[in-house]
Amino acid sequence: MPRLATGFVHYVDAMNRFIGRIAMYGIFVLIGVLLWSSVSKVAFLPSLWTLETAQFVMVAYYILGGPYSIQLGSNVRMDLFYGNWTIKQKAWMDAFTVFFLMFYLGVLLYGALGSLAYSMGYFGMQPLEYFAEFFGALFTGGFNAAGEKLGFLERSSTAWRPVMWPVKLILAFGVFLMLLQCLAELIRDIGRIRGEEI
Amino acid sequence: MSQELIAITMFSGMMLMLLTGQRVFGAIGFVGALAGLLLWGTGGVDVPFAAAMKLMKWYPLLTLPMFIFMGYVLSESKIADDLYKMFHVWMGPVRGGLAIGTIGLMVLISAMNGLSVAGMAIGATIALPELLRRGYDKIMVTGVIQAGSSLGILVPPSVVLVLYAMIARQPVGQLWLAGVVPGLMMATMFVIYIYVRCRMQPELGPPLPEEERNVSRAEKLRLLRAGILPLVIFAVMMVPFVRGWTSLVESSAIGAMAAFFAAILKGRMTRDVFETSVRQTLAISCMFMWIILAALGFGAIFDGLGAVGAIESLFTEKLGLSPWMILILMQLSFIVMGTFLDDTAMLVIVAPLYVPLVGALGFDLIWYGVLYTITTQIAYMTPPFGYNLFLMRAMAPPEIGLLDIYRSIIPFALVMVLALALIMVFPQIALWLPGLVYGN
Amino acid sequence: QSTITWRMQTYAGAALAEHVVKPAIDTFNKIAGDRMQIELFYADQLVPTGELFRAMQRGTIDAVQSDDDSMASPTEVTVFGGYFPFASRYSLDVPVLFNQYGLNEIWEEEYAKVGVKHISAGSWDPCHFATKDPINSLADLQGKRVFTFPTAGRFLSQFGVVPVTLPWEDIEVAVQTGELDGIAWSGITEDYTVGWADVTNYFLTNNISGAWIGHFFANQGRWEELPEDLQLLLKTCMEQSHYYRQWWYWGGEASLRVNGDKMQLTTIPDAEWDQVEQAAQKFWDEIAAESETKAKVVEIFKQYNADMAKAGRPYRYT
Ligand SMILES: NC(=[NH2+])NCCC[C@H](N)C(=O)O
Ligand code: NA
Ligand code: NA
Repeated sequence: MPRLATGFVHYVDAMNRFIGRIAMYGIFVLIGVLLWSSVSKVAFLPSLWTLETAQFVMVAYYILGGPYSIQLGSNVRMDLFYGNWTIKQKAWMDAFTVFFLMFYLGVLLYGALGSLAYSMGYFGMQPLEYFAEFFGALFTGGFNAAGEKLGFLERSSTAWRPVMWPVKLILAFGVFLMLLQCLAELIRDIGRIRGEEI
Repeated sequence: MSQELIAITMFSGMMLMLLTGQRVFGAIGFVGALAGLLLWGTGGVDVPFAAAMKLMKWYPLLTLPMFIFMGYVLSESKIADDLYKMFHVWMGPVRGGLAIGTIGLMVLISAMNGLSVAGMAIGATIALPELLRRGYDKIMVTGVIQAGSSLGILVPPSVVLVLYAMIARQPVGQLWLAGVVPGLMMATMFVIYIYVRCRMQPELGPPLPEEERNVSRAEKLRLLRAGILPLVIFAVMMVPFVRGWTSLVESSAIGAMAAFFAAILKGRMTRDVFETSVRQTLAISCMFMWIILAALGFGAIFDGLGAVGAIESLFTEKLGLSPWMILILMQLSFIVMGTFLDDTAMLVIVAPLYVPLVGALGFDLIWYGVLYTITTQIAYMTPPFGYNLFLMRAMAPPEIGLLDIYRSIIPFALVMVLALALIMVFPQIALWLPGLVYGN
Repeated sequence: QSTITWRMQTYAGAALAEHVVKPAIDTFNKIAGDRMQIELFYADQLVPTGELFRAMQRGTIDAVQSDDDSMASPTEVTVFGGYFPFASRYSLDVPVLFNQYGLNEIWEEEYAKVGVKHISAGSWDPCHFATKDPINSLADLQGKRVFTFPTAGRFLSQFGVVPVTLPWEDIEVAVQTGELDGIAWSGITEDYTVGWADVTNYFLTNNISGAWIGHFFANQGRWEELPEDLQLLLKTCMEQSHYYRQWWYWGGEASLRVNGDKMQLTTIPDAEWDQVEQAAQKFWDEIAAESETKAKVVEIFKQYNADMAKAGRPYRYT
C-alpha cells in the first residue's frame, strides 16, 4: 500500500483512539452530574442545568466515542453469512458496503452542518456556503469579522437557555471523525484484499 | 410510489443491507437516509440528523451507560464469585443442583444490572467451566446460561423496559415492577424443567460427589452472606426511586456508583478491571446509541412517507382480524424479525408502529411491555440471528460448537413460550405487583 | 394534475391534537379532496420540537402548529407566545389583541423576516399548576420541578419554581419517575384529556395567564405556491379550529372544576397571589427593555388591559 494510505490509517486510528479514550471517561462526568442532581434536590433547590448538561455529556460520549468503538469492533453486524466468510471475503464485502455506511454518515454530517449554521444564526438554505464565508472572514479578518457573520444564536427552549451551537459542533465534528474512521477501515480492507495487514 | 410499496421496499432494503454483514447501524441508517433523499422532497436530507436531537432529548437513555457500567463492574470484578460459591455449596447435592443454582445466581445478577450481557458473561466465565468439569451435559448448561441470563432484562432494573417505556410512554417504575413476578415465575419454570429433566436423565446433571459435600454448617451459613451484597446494591438503587426521592436517571447513577464502590471495598477494582469496565461501557453504549440514532432516523422517514399508516391499516382494516389475533400476529412477527434484525433496532423501528395499535385495541400497555420483553428475549436467543447467541459463541469454550448452542436453546425457548402464554391468559401475573405498589 | 401534499407537525400529542387541530385538518382534507392533502404528525413525531422551526423554514415540514416559545422561534416575539404572564385574562382576549390591537401585523412581519408565513393566531386555555402535592401558598412553590414554557419558567423561577422542559409526550411518565413534581402548562381540560390528571393530585385555581397564544405557520415558499382558494380554505379551517377551542376549553374548565373527581382544587388567597401579579408588571418592563419590537408588544398589552379595566364588567371585575 502507498505510504500515504498507511500513514493516513495510522494517523486516523491514533487520533480517534485518543479522542475516544477521553470520551470514555465521560461516564464519570455523567455519573457526577446525575449524583449532583440528586444531592442538590435533597439538600437545597434542584439545579436547573443538570438534566440538560447530562444530555450534552451523553452526546459527546457516544458521538466522540463512536470512531473508537468502531476500532474496538463493538458495532454488531448480522453475521448469518458474514460470520462464516474468510478474512479476505469479509474485506471484499466491507470495502464495498462501507460506502453505504459513509453515505449515511455524509447525510448525517450535512444535516449537522445545516443545524449548526442555524444555531449560529444563519437562516439561508446553503449552510456550506455560509461556513465558507464564516471561515473566510475568520482567516482574513479575525474574530471580529467572523463575529459579524453570526446572527441570532439559537438557544435551547428551556429556562436555563444554553446556546445550542457547542453541542451541534460536537455532533458535526464527531460524525466527521466517524467518516474518517470509515475511510481508514476502507483502506485497511483494501490492504487485506491485497494481502497486507495495516 | 404507493405507501404500501414504500413500506415493503424500505423493509426489504434494510433486510438486504443487513445480510451483507455491514454494521447494523450503517445498514439501517443508509436505507433511511436514501429514502429521505429520494422520496421525501425538500429537506428530507435533514431528517437523519434531527433524530440526533430527538435522541438527545430522550432522557431515560441516560440510564443506558449507567446500567452497562454496572454490569461490567459486577462481572469484571468477579463480585459474583462468592455468590456462585454460595449456590454451589447449597445446591450441589441435588441432582441438577448446580444448574438450578446457576439460575438462582442469574436471578440475583439480574437484580443488580439492566442487561443480559452481564449475566451471560458471569455465567460463561464462572459457572460454565465448573459445570462442565462436574460432568454436566454441555447442551444443558449452555441452555441454562442463556436462558438464565435473559432474566436480566425482566427482573428490574431493565434497560429494555426503559427503552420500551420511552416508546410506549409508560411509567418505568410500573413496568419494572410488572417484570418481577413474571421473571421469578420464569426462573421457577426453568428450575422445574431442569429438575424434572435431570430426574429422568440423571447423566445430564450429576449431584456433587460425597467428598465435596462435607462443608460445615457454619461455613454454609457464612457463605449465605454473599447474598447480602446484591440485595444492598438493589436496595440502594431501587428504594429511593420507588419512594420518589430520586428520579430514574439519578437512581441509575447511584446504582453505578454503588457497584463501583462495592468492587473497591472488596478489593476487586484493579487497574485491569477498571480499564475493561470503562472501555467496554463506552463500546457497548456506542453500539446501542448509534443503532438507536439510525433507527430513529429510519423510523421518522418511514413515518413521514406514510409507510406507518400503510402497515397500521393492513393490520386493523385489511386483514379483518380480532384483537387477540392481531396481538398474536405481532408477537410472531417479532420472533420472525428477530431472526435477522437486531433487538434494539427492532424496538425502535417496530414498537412505535405496534404500541399505539395495542393500546387502541384495548390492551394494557404495561402488560404488553412484559410480553414484549419476553418475546424479544426469545427472539434474540433463537437462531440464526440473536445477540445472545453471538455472545455465547464468543464466550463458550471450544468444545461447545455452534450447533450445540442452537440445540441447547430449544427446550428453554419452549419454556419461555409457555411463560408467555401464561402471562397472556393471566395478565394479573404481571399487573398484580404494580397495582399493589402504585394502587391502581 | 397531482395532489399537493403537505406535512404538518403540531406541538400536541395525539390525545390533545384530537381536539386542538385534527378536526380542522380532517375538514380541510375532505373539502380539498384530490387537490390537496395535509398529513398531520404529532409532538416530536418527525422532528423534535426543538428543531421544529428550522425544519419548517427549510421545508422538511411544510406547516406547523405551535406557540413561539416552545418551538424556540428565532424572532423578537418568541417570549410572548405560549403564556406571557398575566397578558390575558380570557380566551377572547387573544383574537381581540391580534385582530383589533395590531399584533397580527407585528407577527406577520417578524416571521416574514425569517422565511416563515404566520397564518393565524389562536387562543387556548389558561395556565394552571397541576401537582402531586398541594399548593396553598407561594411558599409551597419552593423547589418544585415543574414542566412549563421557557418564558413562564423564567418568570416563575423567582418564586422558587424549577422549570424543566422535556418532550411533551414524556411528561406523564416523568411525573411518575420523579423527574417532575408537577406541570404548569395548561388548564384542567388538558390535564384530564392527556392523562396528567391521573398522575397528579392537585389543581391550583390561580392562573398565571388567562389564555395561551398559539399559531399556525407554514413554510413561506410552500405557502406562496398554493392557489388562492386553497390558502383561503386553509385559513378558514384554522379559524374554525380557533372557534372550536373557544367553547371546548371554556366549558371544559368550568365543568371539570365542578364535576372532575381526579384532582382536588386548591387556591392561593388573592392577597398573596397579588405578589405574583405585581412581579409580572416588573417582568413586562424587563422584557420591554430588551428590544423595540418587544417594547411595542408590551405597550399593546398594557393598553389593552387598561382599556378592559376601564370598560368594567363583564370585561374585568376588579
Ligand atoms: N442491540 C443489541 N445488540 N443488544 C444487545 C443486548 C441484548 C440484550 N438486550 C441484553 O441485555 O444483553
Ligand atoms: Na435486571
Ligand atoms: Na433470533
